[in-house]
Amino acid sequence: MTDFTEPRFDHPPRSMSQRLGAILWPSFFSAGVATMVFFAFVDPLALRDMTFPEVSVTRELGYTIGFFMFWLATAGSSLFTWILLRPAARFNKPLPPEK
Amino acid sequence: MSSKHIPVELVDAGGNSFYASERKIYPRDVSGRFQTWRKIAVVVLLGMFYVFPWLRWDGRQAVLFDLPARKFYIFWLNFWPQDFVFLAMLLMIAGLALFFFTTIAGRLWCGYACPQTVWTEVFLWMEQWTEGDRGRRMKLDAAPWSRDKLLRKGSKHALWLLFALWTGFTFVGFFTPITQLAARAPFEWGGWETFWVLFYALATWGNAGFLREQVCKYMCPYARFQSAMFDRNTLIIAYDPMRGEPRGPRKRGMDSVLERARGLLEQSTAYDYVFRAAHHPTAADAAVQARGGTAIADVGLKAEPLPKFETEQLGDCIDCTICVQVCPTGIDIRNGLQYECIACGACIDACDEVMDKMGYPLGLIRYSTQNAIDGKPTRVLRPRVFVYGLLLLSLCVGWMWGVGHRSPLIAEVLRDRNALYRVVADDQVENSYTLKIVNKEVKAQQYRISLLAPHDIELSGGSRIVDAAAEEVLTLPLTLSADDDVEGKNKVTFVVESIDGQARQEVPSSFFGPVE
Repeated sequence: MTDFTEPRFDHPPRSMSQRLGAILWPSFFSAGVATMVFFAFVDPLALRDMTFPEVSVTRELGYTIGFFMFWLATAGSSLFTWILLRPAARFNKPLPPEK
Repeated sequence: MSSKHIPVELVDAGGNSFYASERKIYPRDVSGRFQTWRKIAVVVLLGMFYVFPWLRWDGRQAVLFDLPARKFYIFWLNFWPQDFVFLAMLLMIAGLALFFFTTIAGRLWCGYACPQTVWTEVFLWMEQWTEGDRGRRMKLDAAPWSRDKLLRKGSKHALWLLFALWTGFTFVGFFTPITQLAARAPFEWGGWETFWVLFYALATWGNAGFLREQVCKYMCPYARFQSAMFDRNTLIIAYDPMRGEPRGPRKRGMDSVLERARGLLEQSTAYDYVFRAAHHPTAADAAVQARGGTAIADVGLKAEPLPKFETEQLGDCIDCTICVQVCPTGIDIRNGLQYECIACGACIDACDEVMDKMGYPLGLIRYSTQNAIDGKPTRVLRPRVFVYGLLLLSLCVGWMWGVGHRSPLIAEVLRDRNALYRVVADDQVENSYTLKIVNKEVKAQQYRISLLAPHDIELSGGSRIVDAAAEEVLTLPLTLSADDDVEGKNKVTFVVESIDGQARQEVPSSFFGPVE
């Protein structure tokens, strides 16, 4: 009979820079690809005209906003994945003592 | 070269690879106070889901998210794309409400209201009707295929499938008028309607039938960050180790520690026993294979085996493991607070039943705070409760005020993009605009359109009155004209007001004359 209560191997927490890198870099890459594909078909100025026509936006600003919006979305997704992949032991800690 | 010993260990092949798939959990059926509340929650919440689309209001479907028309109807309210801010606020209110209630009473959401819990509960009922309770289900799964197994499994899946399809149909009924959807079912459904009915049915069937607690443990973000809202004054499902430890079976007739000389254990001793018991499980504990051992896996701490206790030394926990058997996430609550615990209270009901049979006072496992378990006073009013509460209250009030004071009229002006201005005969300059008027009310309206402008800029054709049917969007071409001595950019304001005086919108824009 296997003893399932034996704690399993947990990787020790990685350094902050490794964590940030693993979240920001893949999302940056995906955002770059998404931006290229998206703006290959959609003109930022046409997009402005159908959303906020009063705002003066140049194409460059449109591309920039588009890229950062994509990055925000992909980085959010990467962050989510990181949280879900953390081992249970990181969450199962006693409640902090009262001050 | 150092001769460091590398601890290599053979992982046995008995399904215990580190990559083993999750063992199936067979929650044992239980009844009691908390299970009654959960059943009520299931009936109320699922009742709302299945009944709401069928209700009528003012001759239309009471709750309808009409995506093609970009309009949402919720009883007496209707929302337009311009009301998006209220939807965003509603999400914030939902989030804050979650924080507020979690801080005070723990994971109420998970135990009672989460669709995952609620639908899983219903699927479990159907499983119990067809396959029986925990023991019979385990036996059935282990048994070879037979007529009986085929019948039981088949009828379970038939029930699940019917229920899932009805769920998918209801879901689509929130977006397409459900009476029409029912009348056209299923062969006259459009491609997308069919797709979403099947997709939602499949998701329900998969999540509530198969994934179940794994959604909570591996897919849910809330399970992972709820601890940020917990403190020692938050209500949790808690086992009282001071009373319960050391655990062990005993003959009937011995009194509870609350009525015996032994009394409650000292805290550090009690928690040490829990720690050691978790690492050296008794045969009974090992047999139910509780998960969540990591809760007490302090790195570097070695758990010594427990000594053999005399009967008089035993605490009130008889180590019947029923609390583990009823747990829908398969943990052992005696190991303390764990993120896997969805606070359903099944273990409380189960333990109370056992305590009752033993003639012990109830509440060895109870809904309590860490402070109360540790014999300290609990504070309900804490700074975070006030912060969350005030934010929640102000958002709710703001939302209600905002929804109540929405303008029943939307007016937007778009300048003609092709030409800044146009010089026409008689030394006049003209600018063209498109005026969009949205009558958000469900009754017809008349609007007067006029202009506020400097110099002698005029609305060609003068002020006028237009008719708008209920919920109609009007698009009107307008022209402003002025003498050509009007130069550069001039501010103008279009005024749209309803004849009954209930709504008025001023829309600023610009009039361009020749430059230089």
